Amino acid sequence: MGTHPPVVALLGAGGIAAPHALGWAALGAQLRIHSVNGAEALAAATPGAVAVGSLEEALDGADVVDICTPTTVHPAHVRAAVAAGVDTFCEKPLARTAAEAQELVDLADAAGVKLLPGHVVRWFPAYERLHAAVENGDLGDLAVLRFSRTGSRPDRPWFHDVELSGGIVLDQMIHDLDQALWLAGDVTEVTAQQSRGTEDHVVTAQAVLTHVSGALSYVTGTWGPVGTTFRTTFEIAGTGGLLQHDSTAQPEVTIDARDVGGSTGLLPPTGAVSPYQLILADFLAWTQGGPRPRLTAADGVSAVRVAEAALESITTGRTVRLAEQNEVSA
Amino acid sequence: MTRIGIISLAHGHAFSYLRSLAATAGVEIRVADPDAAPGEAGRGAAALEGTGATWADSLEDLLGWEPDGVIVCSENSRHRGYTEAALAVGAHVLCEKPIATSVADAQAMIAAAETVDRRLMIAHPVRYSDAFVRLRSAIERGDVGELLAVTGTNNGKIPGDRAWFTDPDLAGGGAVTDHTVHVADLMDALLDGDAPVAVSARSHRLLHPEAAVETAGLVQVRYAGGVVVTIDCSWSRPPDYPTWGGLTLEVVGSAGLARMDAFGTRLDGHLTGRGQAWFAYGPDMDAALIAEFLDVVRTGRRPHPDGHAGLRGAAIVAAAYESVRTGDVVTIEQVLEASRPT
Repeated sequence: MGTHPPVVALLGAGGIAAPHALGWAALGAQLRIHSVNGAEALAAATPGAVAVGSLEEALDGADVVDICTPTTVHPAHVRAAVAAGVDTFCEKPLARTAAEAQELVDLADAAGVKLLPGHVVRWFPAYERLHAAVENGDLGDLAVLRFSRTGSRPDRPWFHDVELSGGIVLDQMIHDLDQALWLAGDVTEVTAQQSRGTEDHVVTAQAVLTHVSGALSYVTGTWGPVGTTFRTTFEIAGTGGLLQHDSTAQPEVTIDARDVGGSTGLLPPTGAVSPYQLILADFLAWTQGGPRPRLTAADGVSAVRVAEAALESITTGRTVRLAEQNEVSA
Repeated sequence: MTRIGIISLAHGHAFSYLRSLAATAGVEIRVADPDAAPGEAGRGAAALEGTGATWADSLEDLLGWEPDGVIVCSENSRHRGYTEAALAVGAHVLCEKPIATSVADAQAMIAAAETVDRRLMIAHPVRYSDAFVRLRSAIERGDVGELLAVTGTNNGKIPGDRAWFTDPDLAGGGAVTDHTVHVADLMDALLDGDAPVAVSARSHRLLHPEAAVETAGLVQVRYAGGVVVTIDCSWSRPPDYPTWGGLTLEVVGSAGLARMDAFGTRLDGHLTGRGQAWFAYGPDMDAALIAEFLDVVRTGRRPHPDGHAGLRGAAIVAAAYESVRTGDVVTIEQVLEASRPT
């Protein structure tokens, strides 16, 4: 750790900024929150945080920046941070397109600025344990991987504009696309389909990935009606057996009582130390000379690339091969 | 008395059907097992001991008995021949799933039944499971709004006790043939026969590479009404899994979610020296399937699922194999066109 509390610029004060702010607070950071909306309220709710009026003010002299703004703004904020020489944590997806994400990675590399995308599921304990088991060879060679992620649909309109956010595939399913890549390696082709309700922004999509190894992954995501329980599941089958998890099946704590909101928000319930805090701690340690985290900026580009292929497949109704993803497959 | 014949004991479900038939009043049962090898375990007259069924020495003997209904439990590729033989003597037929190993065979079976005005039913018992009946009524009540998407899993161990399941000629294929059609049949029931229009599939043999057929697969289906479905048909349960496998559906609707586990009614636990416990309880879906068939035999009404539902499943499987072969999405129209007589 450094000799002074880390100075952190937090850009954005929306839904995902809140657990980030708490994570930073737990790490003893001096937090400068800048946002077009809600910076004061979030600062007031976060120990050691102040709201600042401009991006420049937030970045000036900051040790690191944490970008929690909408997807379309990620590139501008990463560029500003890199220009200011500030190591950068950026929420997923790194950018709306893989090409743009790659540009950001190249820019950061050239400037010697550390960049980490927020694929926080790698820090969720069940997924961390799964990865350790796979690395340990407990499942043998992986064969069929299934992941699902379900929750209430987000309420901010930009999430539902595919041009802006990439919709459910790029914003939500990207978590599990990253898991598939982390566990089973590179992907050669993607076939995806989507179905949406006629109203209320309810949408669900299903993607099948073929890995270079020959393994198959199935990733499905649902933005359900408001009030839908947040739930993630996986089942990973290999030559050595299978492992399953359902986030709602064995909760650490269950409160069955009136008016104690359940886990029907946009984010999953987390344990005593939130995975958001853990990923931010690993990022901070890296910027301070510690080890490289279990995730790289290039992983963030790969996840966007697979998500983009899924979006293209949904649009064209065809299989998309990643080597030729900008062409219509034969 | 209602006479029910069973042709072949190749599929182990025959014994479950035998139990259900024996427990039903007013049913006489006779069995022929024409393709059994001499002394083959679980086959032939010896296997019938205690079942209440009588033995027929040959297919001709069985058909000459003039059964009212016949259950075909042969290897998949023999379904068409035995079904046509049974229909030809005026029997209604319950054919083990999948209906056939090709779209053309399935179409021929439907035509044969229509020609003699007999009913053709396909043995998809999960339609009659308590879990599915309850899920279906919730969906039909509108509890989850408009149906948008379903993820279905029908995972099992590699079928090890009967070698023909992994013989491409007799089975017609592996996991994609064996397990896609159960979920497809449930979708057929939920969507009231809405036509599947496009299929994408991938399969491999990473599990049990020694097998001559694919042992795992993911099959994506889009229906005319816009519902999208993905089916995991893999034989991905390990050899020492506590049961054969299972079947689940996860349903996404515009107003809510629903899910079912067709084999969720069980006691879980751990028994010293025996490992993981898995004790199923609850209504027997095979018995409900047999009750449906007996009612069809006695009344002549349309069965559920009928041959047309079976054909929709067979077309999905055919399109899945074509998609695996070509690497792209295949339309159902393409596979129906390919099997059309010229």
